Amino acid sequence: MQLLFFNVFNGLLQGVFYALMALGLALILSLSSVINMAHGGFLIVGAYLAFTLTPYLGFWGALVVGPLLAGVFGLIVEQTLVRWLYKRPDPLYSLLLTFGLALIIQDLTRTIWGAQGLPAAVPEALNQPLSTTLFFITGYRMVILAITAVVTIGLYLTLRYTLVGIRIRAGTRDLETVASLGVNIYKLRALNFAAGCFFAGLAGALASGILGLTPPMGDSLLMPTFVAVIVGGVGSLAGAVLGGLLIGVAAGITTTYYPAASEAVIYLIMLVVLVIRPRGLMGKESIFE
Amino acid sequence: MGKRVTRREVLKAGLGAGALALGTPAILTYGQGEQTIKIGDIDPLTGNYAAEGESQIRGAKMAMAEWNAKGGVLGRKLELVVEDNASNAGISAQKAHKLIDQDKVAMLIGSVSSASALSITQVAHQAGMIFMVTGGHTDPITGSQCHWSTFRICTTTYMLAAGLAGTLHKKFGGKWYFLTPDYAFGHTLQESYQSLLKKLGGTDLGASLSPLGTNDFSSYLIKAASTNPDVLINLTDGQDRINSLKQAAQFGLFKKFAIGGGLSELEVLQALPPEARTGWATLEWWWDQPHTPHVKEWVAAYQKAHPDGSYPSARTWFGYAAMHSVALGITRAKSLDAVKVARVLEGMELPPEVKLQPNRVYFRAADHQLMSSEFPGEAIPDGKYPNIFKVSQIIAGDDVALPATATGCTLDYPA
Repeated sequence: MQLLFFNVFNGLLQGVFYALMALGLALILSLSSVINMAHGGFLIVGAYLAFTLTPYLGFWGALVVGPLLAGVFGLIVEQTLVRWLYKRPDPLYSLLLTFGLALIIQDLTRTIWGAQGLPAAVPEALNQPLSTTLFFITGYRMVILAITAVVTIGLYLTLRYTLVGIRIRAGTRDLETVASLGVNIYKLRALNFAAGCFFAGLAGALASGILGLTPPMGDSLLMPTFVAVIVGGVGSLAGAVLGGLLIGVAAGITTTYYPAASEAVIYLIMLVVLVIRPRGLMGKESIFE
Repeated sequence: MGKRVTRREVLKAGLGAGALALGTPAILTYGQGEQTIKIGDIDPLTGNYAAEGESQIRGAKMAMAEWNAKGGVLGRKLELVVEDNASNAGISAQKAHKLIDQDKVAMLIGSVSSASALSITQVAHQAGMIFMVTGGHTDPITGSQCHWSTFRICTTTYMLAAGLAGTLHKKFGGKWYFLTPDYAFGHTLQESYQSLLKKLGGTDLGASLSPLGTNDFSSYLIKAASTNPDVLINLTDGQDRINSLKQAAQFGLFKKFAIGGGLSELEVLQALPPEARTGWATLEWWWDQPHTPHVKEWVAAYQKAHPDGSYPSARTWFGYAAMHSVALGITRAKSLDAVKVARVLEGMELPPEVKLQPNRVYFRAADHQLMSSEFPGEAIPDGKYPNIFKVSQIIAGDDVALPATATGCTLDYPA
């Protein structure tokens, strides 16, 4: 019983992390209708930049600047490549483009930083459990929880109360009308894409504290991120958070009883959701129905 | 509108240039008078074992450069054709077919994952081609699923376990829980540890099987901690080992019980922050062997070829030994005929400048397993790369391998 409680709690903490990764993906998907297969690429760009900057800026400085640079990189990619595809209604084009980008970014990372993993470290104070019984609650995981909460609430407030946010929300419903009202939707989408890449970079920088910092790191995180978005509902940011938490807890519970299926269970949940409610738990009726 | 046309033109031009670049080298290759001997190398460049794969390729290329500098093999230059298998067994088989049918390679080397290696051994065997397994450890490769066409450089999972189990038992106690990667390598390595634990009279507390490529080990670690082991035998490798050790360190588990066992590598150790770089494990080669001839020179040669501040790892040596074995086999057989080369390789001893370790290193004739040494020892948390592991002893392969009669291997030479 204690084991189950531990695993549910632990699953929630893991789910928070999936949610953070899913936010950026959901943001880009909802406004730009770009299925960003290169999300994992932006993740490692943020992680590697943060690692490289840590000696100069310290852990916290790098945690801010690394993801910001990933956002700038995202902006450049959007301006040079992605925006040419907005005119094409078929999402296949952007899917192929970003898939190619994912491969290129991973290979560039390997060329620049090498295939060998880098020893990304976490400040000593965060790098230990807060209590001996609940040893899986570490300072670092609390930081991730806090950052995810701040980011989610901040994003919610931005979308709800600022002009840019209101335009983005309007744009996800009906981009043409927003454009005809005189809003520069190209700028809007560029900003949105860059913000999505910033969140990817942030999640990546945080992930490198728990995982090995290697070029394929983004690949292995991409799938749970996609599952979180699909389960939670495409186009819904709250859904992305919910989806992340749900698969985290499900994986935790499965581990208690049948560990070998803990990876498979998240896909099983996705399957069930897609069959019963294709738009996802909190998704709007559009892309998949 | 004008802009759009220009872009299209640029694209077309780019495509044309791309097609040109794709087409040219093939024509050039066949245009050269002397044909090279192609060696197909299937290694992971992406995925869980990408770092290990790159090291193996570096080693193979070093050996190839040495042979080519001396004029090649049978008067022909060697050429390495590298394919990425992403440590996926299905892709491995596809790539093996591609190398055999399209590239017309003479022999195959490579692979890190045991599952990939097993899948390539099948394809190579059907094609009647020698496959020198560089780095897949599971026992059956030179055991129950051995073939006349399969040779293996890295040690078996049993040898890995036998080189360390006694030390762990003596130092930390006999209650063991296993964290095991859920595929061929993990399964056989766990069986080996369990059989040795039984002999030592210890208690087996159970195992958690984690899929290859697991990110989050927290739930496995919670389960492991709930059994209160003396030792958590961590059998993961590559990226999985980095992830699990990093997370175990953050959970403070190193203070609760010993974590050790399995196979570690320079690639893994260098990717770990100090607090996670601890515990006992087995390596299969180490760059710092002050009393072994040729090692210092070889490390220097590696660094000259790769001026990125890195040191060669066991994987680099695997690749190096694999390529040398293949080239030596062909040279001594004076032929590319697979059966003839296989007969030459049986029992062949690696010369000192290739074996780079103190003990006798040779391909056992009965199962084609290279008898190379184990280097068990302890990671050094506060060490600086490359001084991050202390080898406690170098054990000869003969001393830890199962006798050839107990491996379940019967070689199936064509009649």
